[in-house]
Amino acid sequence: MTTAYVADTGVFVRCGGPDNDKFQRLRGAVCRAGVTLSVPRRVYEELGGDSIADEYPSGDIPCSTGFEEGWIVVAAELDYANPLVSTVMDDARRVIANETGREEDGIEKADTALVGLAAQLLDGGDAEGVDLLTTDRPAGRAAERLLPEHGFEGQIEYRYVSESYLESVTAADFL
Amino acid sequence: MAKSPTGSSHPPIRHLQTVVDVLETPALARIYAHILDDGPVTVADLVEDLGVPQGTAYDYVEKLETAGLVEKVRDQRPCEYAAEPVTLTLTTDGNSRTIAPALIAAVARREDDGDIDTFVDRHGLDGLAQALDYAAEYVEGSVNARIAARELDVSPLEAEIVLQALEPVVETYAVGE
Repeated sequence: MTTAYVADTGVFVRCGGPDNDKFQRLRGAVCRAGVTLSVPRRVYEELGGDSIADEYPSGDIPCSTGFEEGWIVVAAELDYANPLVSTVMDDARRVIANETGREEDGIEKADTALVGLAAQLLDGGDAEGVDLLTTDRPAGRAAERLLPEHGFEGQIEYRYVSESYLESVTAADFL
Repeated sequence: MAKSPTGSSHPPIRHLQTVVDVLETPALARIYAHILDDGPVTVADLVEDLGVPQGTAYDYVEKLETAGLVEKVRDQRPCEYAAEPVTLTLTTDGNSRTIAPALIAAVARREDDGDIDTFVDRHGLDGLAQALDYAAEYVEGSVNARIAARELDVSPLEAEIVLQALEPVVETYAVGE
């Protein structure tokens, strides 16, 4: 079964600066497994071009190295014209609003992009399974709840990327 | 307006002044947080555990003791100190803000955590206190960094950075409970 790995902004923040062991560990695991981490375009935009974040030690996110080396890639644009993608994203908005006690209007597309991308990859046959690597618990739970409702039972997994996850990640996690 | 529900017999204004000093002096916050977490401790323990100069450790412990934030629990030398978990609620113009041990622990981390230090430089102690509330929700899973970013009026990346930096504080102090 081909699995697509979708990674969120928080994963790269958690990895720390370029010399951090956690970054090297993730990179080693992904490269040894011969897979890539796809990031939604919104995540790509969040990671780059934020001059404010440059003031922070953890804002020095080394993922540009990952893009250059090819193990992090930017996923295709979300196809909102695909009814499955737009429906899943609308549903995700509702679930995330509910999980976080917010008004639905306060939940933006960026919050649902992970779930939308997972739906798009499965629907387009790009992957038989999608693993979401994220620190966004509400979005992770929304994906796990919603995609089975659209026929993708057992094809979606959400991994919360904690400190300990990155300290112990190996290639076996991506095989 | 300030009130301390801890029932300290020390004068509230002196108490308040020291809490303000603690919030403005990360090294002092670090000593208070360490005594709170690991107390009772001796001054020698503080010197060894935190690597602060002995003179500074004595001065800071005395300051905290005078304000009643720290008390001597063993009189014979070496004296041992334990800390009272102070909670102050400040209310001005209808806005209230609680200063609890978690906030002091967050300030204490400024010395070792450049992300928290940068956030406080940019958004002040009120910003830090707000971010700490969001960090509790983030750890619990009832908010994500993007929602926090909009509500704190910071960029999503900045929110993710500060929320992750505050995670250990939330995990130690069970913020919001």
